[in-house]
Amino acid sequence: MAETKAEQPRLTLASSDGEDIPVDKDVAERSVLIKNMVSDLGEEAMTEAIPIPNVNAAVLKKVIEWCTHHRADPPAPTDDDSDSRKKTTDIEEWDQKFMQVDQEMLFEIILAANYLDIKQLLDVGCKTVANMIKGKSPEEIRKTFNIQNDFTPEEEDQIRRENEWAEDR
Amino acid sequence: MPFNLLLERQEELNTTASGSTLNGHNHSLHDWEMPPRKRVRASTEESTEEEVDTNTSLKHRKYHEPLSEKNSHTKGTSTTKLDQEVTGPFMAKHVPTQYNPQGNPALTETRQPSDPNTKFCYRHRPDMLCRRQADEPTMDKLQKNLERLSESDRQAVVQVWSLFSAAPSKHRNLMLQGILTQCCFPQLSFLSANVQKLIKIDFLSALPPEISFRILSSLDTISLCKAAQVSRRWRQLADDDVVWHRMCEQHIDRKCTKCGWGLPLLDRKRLRASKRQMQLRAAGRGQNVWSPAGTPVAEVEQNPLARDVSAINVTSVAASAISAAGRQPSLEPPFPDWEKMKRPWKHVYRDRWRVGKNWKHGVCSTKVLKGHENGVMAVQMLDNILATGSYDKTIKIWDLDTGKEIRTLTGHTGGIRCLQFDDSKLISGSMDGTMKLWDWRTGVCCATYSGHTDFVIGLHFDSNILVSGSADSTAKVWNFQDKSIFTLRGHEDWVNSVRIDSESRTVFTASDDFTVKLWDLDTKQCIHTYRGHGAHVQQVVLLPREFDMEDDLALFGDQISDTGSQAGDSASFSGHDQSPVMTHRVLHNEDQRAGAYRYTFTNGRPEPPRYMVTSALDNTIRLWEVSTGREIRKFFGHVEGVWGLAADSLRIVSGANDRMVKIWDPRTGKCERTFTGHTGPVTCIGLSDSRMCSAGEDNEVRVYCFSEKDCF
Repeated sequence: MAETKAEQPRLTLASSDGEDIPVDKDVAERSVLIKNMVSDLGEEAMTEAIPIPNVNAAVLKKVIEWCTHHRADPPAPTDDDSDSRKKTTDIEEWDQKFMQVDQEMLFEIILAANYLDIKQLLDVGCKTVANMIKGKSPEEIRKTFNIQNDFTPEEEDQIRRENEWAEDR
Repeated sequence: MPFNLLLERQEELNTTASGSTLNGHNHSLHDWEMPPRKRVRASTEESTEEEVDTNTSLKHRKYHEPLSEKNSHTKGTSTTKLDQEVTGPFMAKHVPTQYNPQGNPALTETRQPSDPNTKFCYRHRPDMLCRRQADEPTMDKLQKNLERLSESDRQAVVQVWSLFSAAPSKHRNLMLQGILTQCCFPQLSFLSANVQKLIKIDFLSALPPEISFRILSSLDTISLCKAAQVSRRWRQLADDDVVWHRMCEQHIDRKCTKCGWGLPLLDRKRLRASKRQMQLRAAGRGQNVWSPAGTPVAEVEQNPLARDVSAINVTSVAASAISAAGRQPSLEPPFPDWEKMKRPWKHVYRDRWRVGKNWKHGVCSTKVLKGHENGVMAVQMLDNILATGSYDKTIKIWDLDTGKEIRTLTGHTGGIRCLQFDDSKLISGSMDGTMKLWDWRTGVCCATYSGHTDFVIGLHFDSNILVSGSADSTAKVWNFQDKSIFTLRGHEDWVNSVRIDSESRTVFTASDDFTVKLWDLDTKQCIHTYRGHGAHVQQVVLLPREFDMEDDLALFGDQISDTGSQAGDSASFSGHDQSPVMTHRVLHNEDQRAGAYRYTFTNGRPEPPRYMVTSALDNTIRLWEVSTGREIRKFFGHVEGVWGLAADSLRIVSGANDRMVKIWDPRTGKCERTFTGHTGPVTCIGLSDSRMCSAGEDNEVRVYCFSEKDCF
């Protein structure tokens, strides 16, 4: 694969903290934002660094790592409805490993994927968070994300009763 | 830096800090910190500019200067020049209250949330997005350890903290890098053990809501309800209509591929109305706002989910008499009250979930309706109305809410074998060889159709077409629009059950000749004959188009190829040279699916539904793939012939000569529950989202209600 991609044109992305990161064009174009930018800029995009002002170098490199692994993936289905039926929280193994980062990095990856418009990465990020919530009690969820319980005991009790219907199948 | 120097500096610091804290706060708030939240959600252009500002060192100097000046005024000679020029101003930037050893830990805690000026990092509004709660035990420990130190050491430590605390994030990173390079492994280990615990982010609150909804949308019911109990913000998000609307879409009237949990379909009228609401929401018009200006009436005919009983455009004189006849509003209000439409989707889902749970566990109330004087041979439920037809030559209309009989329709001279009704009309087929059209709300018989030369045993209408099956071995197609009638000939024995599919303009017929036939209404030809049953086929039911069991098929692949090999022998497509297993694989490919028919549905004409279910006197129920003629599943369990059958996308219900009623899972083929109670053969089955009913030769109708709300 490396040989066939030898001709691959490269772009330079400038992170928010001023680092220039070279990347293959097809990899960068996993991001719809960059893809559109490149097609708008034309030749210019190849010569000058493209500023990615919302993403710092550490996160940008991580995102590029993901895009490189998924460079050959088929494009995401545009129809949002079509995948609503087939949706699962299953994450493929490589992505799972990729997402084994601290919460801050995960948070940044999700924001970056959203900003750069990389639907599948955003999906993987969201599912990763969903999996952190899944199957936990409210208290466990609070612990996982360090959330303060701002309900009064009365409210808490009432809300618990409101949601009791889903307790067992 | 030597400690004695630091000691001196501490004094100075205290003065400086108290003098300039306010100033420092303001500066750093405006210059170092990003405006609240903006950074996270802002569009590129906006934040680009701000970002650049943040990182410009020029800016830093701008507010370093006046402070250092001030500093030199407040403190005299005892400190070195270096201190004054570098450390002093640096410290003066900000002395955080929370690490002040003199401070009260309780105070820090209360202060922190309201004080946005803790420099966590450049991009968050700390109190909102990056707020880290002060951990009381840790802080206590810190305090105690600190108090154990000598005065000078204490000041030194505090000095380090203060310096770090005062630094902008860029400098902080530099400091950390320097510290890290000095750390030995035990210290690094101490770090790594602590760091993981510290990085905890309240994702749902910190992320833009659209992403939070995305996260919530991939949760299951139980987790969503737990999430709603976490905090106020989480509750707000996890209870939102956006999330539950999606849950409803995924689960109601279908089995969710994600969790395998399906909820019964909504009442027809509610489904109809909520569909409209869904469309409104999908179009982004009005959240939770029901627009009465919408025209749900017009929606009915187009709604693909409206089942086999959509209103007929009857053009015959007799029928117009029906439409003229006044309705009784007490029986069925034309549309659900608007209040009901505004219910949160979570509540809609919850109610369906409860009903689904009852179906699953067989929790229901049973009511026995008595009134017929002979075996009951036909039943249908629609909303809260039940119609039954009997060998006693009458049709009875019942109110399911009360269990009371509303009226009896008399006129047939033979037993009733089949019937179907919709909002206004009822059509019955009788052993007197005729069909009658009734206005069931008034009891008036509007028309009688004769044509068959023997009993009428099966009938089904949809839109303008009525199909009837008869003991004369034919099926007749009655077109109310052009008033044409034609006969489908091909079966060699009684035609027991007929089913029309208007979309594909096809008809399915089940016969005592052991076969099921598929007919083309355009050419009036038989497209295919399904062979496999070993006895008289009593019923044929089409599963809704949205019913999809591809995933289940993949799961049960082995079993399918097993039953498939049997079915393959009897499949009689001309030129069918592929093995059944292969055919099935091919079917997964949309392009080639049409090929399996050897029959072309051209000009955008849709194909018939993908799956049908049949029951026969060979004691089995079978699930077929219509396009290939393959038998996908056989349902074993009845010990005598299966007379009655009903199905939706969640379940198959059967009634048999063995006096039992059974509920089956179409996907697994398992019998989920068996109901007994009838004292004679069960002849027919009715099914709705929250109820089912069975009737038999014991003259009784048993209604099983799975919703507490709708119970008698």
